[in-house]
Amino acid sequence: MDLTQGFGARSGVVGPVTGLESLNFSDEFRHLVATMPPENTGGSFTALLEMPVTQAMELLHFTDSSSSQARTVTGDIAPTTLHPFGALTFPSNSLLLDRAARFSVIATEHNGNISGETANSLQSNSGANLDRVKAEPAETDSMVENQNQNYSSGKRKEREKKVKSSTNKTKSSVESDKLPYVHVRARRGQATDNHSLAERARREKINARMKLLQELVPGCDKIQGTALVLDEIINHVQSLQRQVEMLSMRLAAVNPRVDFNLDSILASENGSLMDGSFNGESYHQLQQWPFDGYHQPEWGREEDHHQANFSMGSATLHPNQVKMEL
Amino acid sequence: MMNTYNMVKQEFIKKWINTLHMLDSSIEHPLNVTERKNAIRLSSDLAMAAARNGSTVWSRALISRSGNKTANKPMARRILKKARNRMKNRCNILRRNGNFTAKTGVRKRTDLLKSLVPGGELIDDKDYLIRETLDYIVYLRAQVDVMRTVAAVDLFTRNLTNDRRNK
Repeated sequence: MDLTQGFGARSGVVGPVTGLESLNFSDEFRHLVATMPPENTGGSFTALLEMPVTQAMELLHFTDSSSSQARTVTGDIAPTTLHPFGALTFPSNSLLLDRAARFSVIATEHNGNISGETANSLQSNSGANLDRVKAEPAETDSMVENQNQNYSSGKRKEREKKVKSSTNKTKSSVESDKLPYVHVRARRGQATDNHSLAERARREKINARMKLLQELVPGCDKIQGTALVLDEIINHVQSLQRQVEMLSMRLAAVNPRVDFNLDSILASENGSLMDGSFNGESYHQLQQWPFDGYHQPEWGREEDHHQANFSMGSATLHPNQVKMEL
Repeated sequence: MMNTYNMVKQEFIKKWINTLHMLDSSIEHPLNVTERKNAIRLSSDLAMAAARNGSTVWSRALISRSGNKTANKPMARRILKKARNRMKNRCNILRRNGNFTAKTGVRKRTDLLKSLVPGGELIDDKDYLIRETLDYIVYLRAQVDVMRTVAAVDLFTRNLTNDRRNK
């Protein structure tokens, strides 16, 4: 797989932490591209939630690792105060703003190549819309390319693209790597000065991210228009925050202490899981957690208790152990 | 593929156990329901932000915001001090001139979103704001899922022990 090789090569450049991250995710990425993720049309609400969430998670981790790498490359070039923020910052300096605008145009070029809903749009994008930007020497190219690779690869996962598009993508990125200067070609009937180009690029990038958010927030992909999408997102965030408030109230009301015996809850839930009348959704979620991960010495309290419980592994609960528990 | 989200939830619950103990040992009993609720909410938010463990604005803003509420607890203070200092510097640098009326619907909604996402007011770039929101939503959902599960388990075991006691 071209891209995974690219990731592997890139990891050699960076420090051990980010390299490790990119290596881990290259496996998942390969797996993802090989097997098409299922459609989220039916199924339970939780399944719907978890699908795009994990994809979004991987996108986030991708961009995190890429951005930290980008930071090492441009560490001396852009010593702005925004840097400690992390990923994909846009410096306030005008010269650097120009460069950032060019980066975003390159990003949209790749996105334009990929983010079509059908194969037709894909072909037309790659053919007619050769937006290439006048770029600076090789290191910025490589940095941009890596950023775009990560961003676009994340986008690709979101869009459930086939392998063909990935080869398309690597071809264009390789070509941009070779050329030191790339020329912009605007679409018909659009202004071509720097400002509008940068503005258009920025808008497209924002729209791309909005689409990402749309897929994350359930029921959001049907609506058009930025304002309505933002509405949905705001509603979602508000509802989640309200739920947290409600749940913490519920936990507080029932338990006399603040730490509401979380340890003993985790310990005694073995018994509750064996009983058939448990809450279906929670049971499903609990089953998914690999309980071996909880075997941590840093807990301190009731450690022996936990060791006795968690040696059984994930959700393999014996009735005998339940009787011993309770 | 599913494991990434589960890893988030695992991280969250690990941190949550720690923050709960931390808060419990540093507050004075007894508390009424509202205070308990606030403490649980605080510990949960801190755990979520700590589980993120990355370079996001929202996680640092959440920690620094919670720092005000735990000002009297020395242990929490030590942990939060570093994050809070970083946030203060960030505030001074990024804050631009403040009040202009929201003209379009998008502008209004962007402002509202900024008020919802912790640290959002500090982000001027809409693109970056959306990215932060994306990250924040993922962790919020993990928080809700875990808390809901824990509440359900708690309720169930409570009923279970009550039933067995009554028999």
